Amino acid sequence: MTTIIQASGLTKRFGDTLAVDSVDLNVAQGEIYGFLGLNGAGKTTTIRSLLGMIRPTRGSVMLFGVPVGPGGRGPWDRVGHMVEAPAAYPELSVRQNLEIAARLRGVKKSGTIGETIERFGLARDADRSAGNLSSGNLQRLGLARAFIHDPELVMLDEPASNLDPAGVVEIREFLRTFSRERGATVFMSSHILSEVDRLATRIGIIHKGRLIEELGTAELDRLRRRKLLIQARDPVAARSALERGGYQISEEQADGSLVLEGSRALESPDDVAVVLVNAGTPPTRLALIHEDLEEHFLRLTGGLQ
Amino acid sequence: MTDLRSGLWAEFLKARRSLVPWLTGLGFSLAPIVGGLFMIILKDPERARSMGLISTKAQLTAGVADWPSFFGMQMQAIAVGGAMLFAILTAWVFGREFSDRTAKDLLAVKTSRSATVAAKFIVIAVWATIATVWIAVLGLIVGAVVVLPGWSIPLAVGALGHILAAAGLGLALMPPVALFASTGRGYLTPVGWAFLTLVLAQIAAALGWGSWFPWAVPALFSEMLGPRASQLGPHSYFLVLLTCAAGLAATFAWWIRADHTR
Repeated sequence: MTTIIQASGLTKRFGDTLAVDSVDLNVAQGEIYGFLGLNGAGKTTTIRSLLGMIRPTRGSVMLFGVPVGPGGRGPWDRVGHMVEAPAAYPELSVRQNLEIAARLRGVKKSGTIGETIERFGLARDADRSAGNLSSGNLQRLGLARAFIHDPELVMLDEPASNLDPAGVVEIREFLRTFSRERGATVFMSSHILSEVDRLATRIGIIHKGRLIEELGTAELDRLRRRKLLIQARDPVAARSALERGGYQISEEQADGSLVLEGSRALESPDDVAVVLVNAGTPPTRLALIHEDLEEHFLRLTGGLQ
Repeated sequence: MTDLRSGLWAEFLKARRSLVPWLTGLGFSLAPIVGGLFMIILKDPERARSMGLISTKAQLTAGVADWPSFFGMQMQAIAVGGAMLFAILTAWVFGREFSDRTAKDLLAVKTSRSATVAAKFIVIAVWATIATVWIAVLGLIVGAVVVLPGWSIPLAVGALGHILAAAGLGLALMPPVALFASTGRGYLTPVGWAFLTLVLAQIAAALGWGSWFPWAVPALFSEMLGPRASQLGPHSYFLVLLTCAAGLAATFAWWIRADHTR
């Protein structure tokens, strides 16, 4: 698979602040890469560096095998982007803002503006001043601008923010189709973790400027699995009782908690309780846990105590 | 070249649809109208005396009511007032990208950053030229309506040339304003810079160092303090050009190489 984004040892220092620290990224064609991090973790600095807006202190960036910068050089006719909050020229209409975007991106095909307006649900506001748009429609305009030249790679900072629930679903489906049918690559940051969880094929977590974890499809599937967490006063006795009862222990945690993942345990946790009670080691806690990306992310970044 | 065409198309659309260039044009229109008012006052000394302060001011700046004085007033208005209006226009063309948070959408696109910056400077130059020509034409109309004495075609052609040259000198000092609008990411720094240079120009001219201070050159060229030949030398024009070149180079370099964090 062709590598579309390649960042090696990407480092950016602003004075004494190390905003991004030795980040290596490899994103292949067709991937939807979710980029997660707390506020100030280095997400936007990384995205701006990938787009040549910020010059790395160390390291390099290549998009489509073409080095990015210095001097703002890059394969920009193949790249769409929306960095931070979308903005527009307030006195110009939606259509005029898109006309400017199309011109600057070298779009020659006639009818592109109209198609883009339709595709992003902006028809009703097409001739309205951008300064009078709702934040949701301003977000749609930002997205429309990112896609107007039919790019092969889009980098989106918080694409779903400001959108209503229907809009969130609409953009999710659009990105999924865009990636699947065009073989295009999406690199997106988001605070809406459930959104990233549903859409991304790979996830990178950045914390204090360092890329601390990357999760592929297999790891994401594992995260999405349910677990039965069991605690007892005597974990050794509980473990042997469960094993005698035919349950397979998936994991024993540091605090002695036992984890079962088999369907028999997940579908009938009451049976598990009966086995433990009959063995004289009743559970002090029996919880069906559906750990999700959010929980994993918060634990990893210290946001969940 | 395609890049520059795209940049120009975008910049002209923004300029056409905004109030700022039109308001600066309106501001320029005041010069010939106020000049015409002074000429009316000066033409009638009895009435001038009865008007007190206004007629005194009119005599201070114009002296006599004729075409040479009227053209002189317009040139001085362009040299001093124009510098501020050009600065406001320049601050708007560059600074708006930061106050509207649209600068980030100009950086990673097919149209190069240098084409975008060049297009902005061209729009400023075209708009300033149109405004200056508009003042000159409006001045001719106002002068004709007031029926000033001393008209001749060579005088008018020469005066128009000097008005355009004064505007050109003022325009040449705008690249530093563009630089401050970019590095200051908004309007405040460039407008502050324009006021500072206006004050410093007056001090430099008063101290007799005006010919060495680029921002004093347009006013001295307009013969505000006497014949320009005695006020300016070749070094004065060279310093204006040097300021222009340095400002242009620094503005292009900033857009191409600086960290764009907003």
